[in-house]
Amino acid sequence: MTEILFFIEVVVAGLLAGTMYSLVALGFVLIYKASSTFNFAQGAMVFFAVLSFVGFMELGLPFVLAFFVTILLMGVVGFFTERLVLQPLMNESEDTVLMATIGLGFVLEGLAQAAWGVEVRRLDLGIGDFPIPWIIESTGLFISALDLTAGLVAATMIIGLALLFKYTKMGLGLRAVADDPGAASSIGIPLPSIMLMVWTAAGVVALVAGMMWGARAGVQFALVDLALKALPVLIIGGFSSIPGAIVGGLIIGASEKVLEVYVGPFFGGGIEVWAPFVLAIFFLLWRPEGLFGEKIIRRV
Amino acid sequence: MSTSPDNILEISDVEVVYDSVIAALHDVSLAVPRGKIVALLGGNGAGKSTTLKAISTMLASERGKVTRGAITYDGVAVKNQTPAEMVGHGLVQVLEGRRCFGHLTVEENIIAGAYSRKLSKADIKAELEKVYGYFKRLRERRKSQAGYTSGGEQQMVAVARAMMAKPKMLLLDEPSMGLAPQLVAEIFNIVQELNKKEGVSILLAEQNTNVALRNADYGYIIETGHVMLHGAADELMNDDKVKELYLGISKEGRKNFRDVLREESASHADLHHH
Ligand SMILES: Nc1ncnc2c1ncn2[C@@H]1O[C@H](COP(=O)(O)OP(=O)(O)OP(=O)(O)O)[C@@H](O)[C@H]1O
Ligand SMILES: [Mg+2]
Repeated sequence: MTEILFFIEVVVAGLLAGTMYSLVALGFVLIYKASSTFNFAQGAMVFFAVLSFVGFMELGLPFVLAFFVTILLMGVVGFFTERLVLQPLMNESEDTVLMATIGLGFVLEGLAQAAWGVEVRRLDLGIGDFPIPWIIESTGLFISALDLTAGLVAATMIIGLALLFKYTKMGLGLRAVADDPGAASSIGIPLPSIMLMVWTAAGVVALVAGMMWGARAGVQFALVDLALKALPVLIIGGFSSIPGAIVGGLIIGASEKVLEVYVGPFFGGGIEVWAPFVLAIFFLLWRPEGLFGEKIIRRV
Repeated sequence: MSTSPDNILEISDVEVVYDSVIAALHDVSLAVPRGKIVALLGGNGAGKSTTLKAISTMLASERGKVTRGAITYDGVAVKNQTPAEMVGHGLVQVLEGRRCFGHLTVEENIIAGAYSRKLSKADIKAELEKVYGYFKRLRERRKSQAGYTSGGEQQMVAVARAMMAKPKMLLLDEPSMGLAPQLVAEIFNIVQELNKKEGVSILLAEQNTNVALRNADYGYIIETGHVMLHGAADELMNDDKVKELYLGISKEGRKNFRDVLREESASHADLHHH
């Protein structure tokens, strides 16, 4: 009985962690849909966003203000990315744009460290990484408050973004651009403003993910690598699918925790760092277009 | 050529180059009088789409550039505008090959056409009703995903979508492409209606010379980036050379039409593309 309870605990913790992967993967999908490019700078954006947030707090800004100033900053990053990187490369191949996003990643990492320094920061969201008493009482499960908060925040954001894309004018514009940028342009949908929206949304997603991860493990460079777990998520879910990003994130989150707990000991632990990538490789062999994807992935 | 206010569009001596080397248009001049339908005719690779994209400024995203000549739309020189700005001025291109947003519903496609306008929900509803009045078939299909509708319906979606931008002028690129004759007739009837009732001026690129001239007031025939011949639509239809080369009505009417075009574009390939 306790065995089963423990297994459920592991899966639940994994799923909750997975929602955060889903959220970051969603950032990738948005940019992939709008500009058919894999944004290698997403990990750097996570690091840049949360480090800036912590930096603003250290400068004395209150939490909420620091949050909105950082969102504004991510909008500015989106603006310059569109102006200085995407627009000049508009007629270039998708591979060139891909390279440019790798470069953008280095620039953001460098900028963040130059502006705020390299030491690891603590981020206290006022939510502890301890089990919630009433869940223990009612179900016997040990579920961390931080995990649960992260899961709820990610789920709320995913639902919010989905509603935004389904029901707002901007969302319609984005979906049109995702289907056919040329046709969208021909009826007067301004591609630059759609790109700006998408990059800003990806920036907000990056900030929230960075805050949740940073609250557990400290705000540090390793967040860049953590964000790259979105890659196996996308391989499983499909690069251009929002539902794929969500389901893929949950699958990766749950399976890496289960593997860590039950298989990890045979490898001396720590396999959750690389297990998702191995999983993704097997998945690539079985279904290269991903669970929900339509296009075959050409460039990974 | 001095510009006349009677013409909504004037193009004079336009040269277009792709990738800085490939000349697609050499010296194209044409005019579209306000409220008229003008046909731009020619075979594969003649330069029809290039002409339309030069006007709508869609060329820029295909590494194409107007290197000589002038384009004047509604009294304004077309130079470095973006397609979105041209749409704002009431000039909308319906691209070759329909280009619907496949994952969006028919109705979402049409509403997307109003993106450039600031409309309330109620305004959009009213505009939709008006558009469905012309495209009756689309009303029944409005909840369908556009990618799963028929070719004819997709062509209607593309034109309906463009109408939502409240255009003064439409550039239609081969609306008859790949459609059965009765569907072509249905679409051209709607185009006629839009022209008469909404007063939309139309520049129509077509390989289907017969249908185009029957629906147009005036026509231009271009080959390899040069205007070869132009005149009133009925004059062109009675012109011997047009009859032989483009209408194929020497003996068997429509049946010969494709063959003549194919032969003609094949001989072009020999002459000009090595
Ligand atoms: N993006 C491009 N880059 C380079 N050359 C191009 C491009 N688009 C068109 N061309 C060339 O320009 C010439 C004119 O092409 P265009 O598409 O305007 O012809 P068209 O009359 O529309 O033909 P079709 O009836 O087949 O659509 C052709 O030789 C074509 O190969
Ligand atoms: Mg064409």
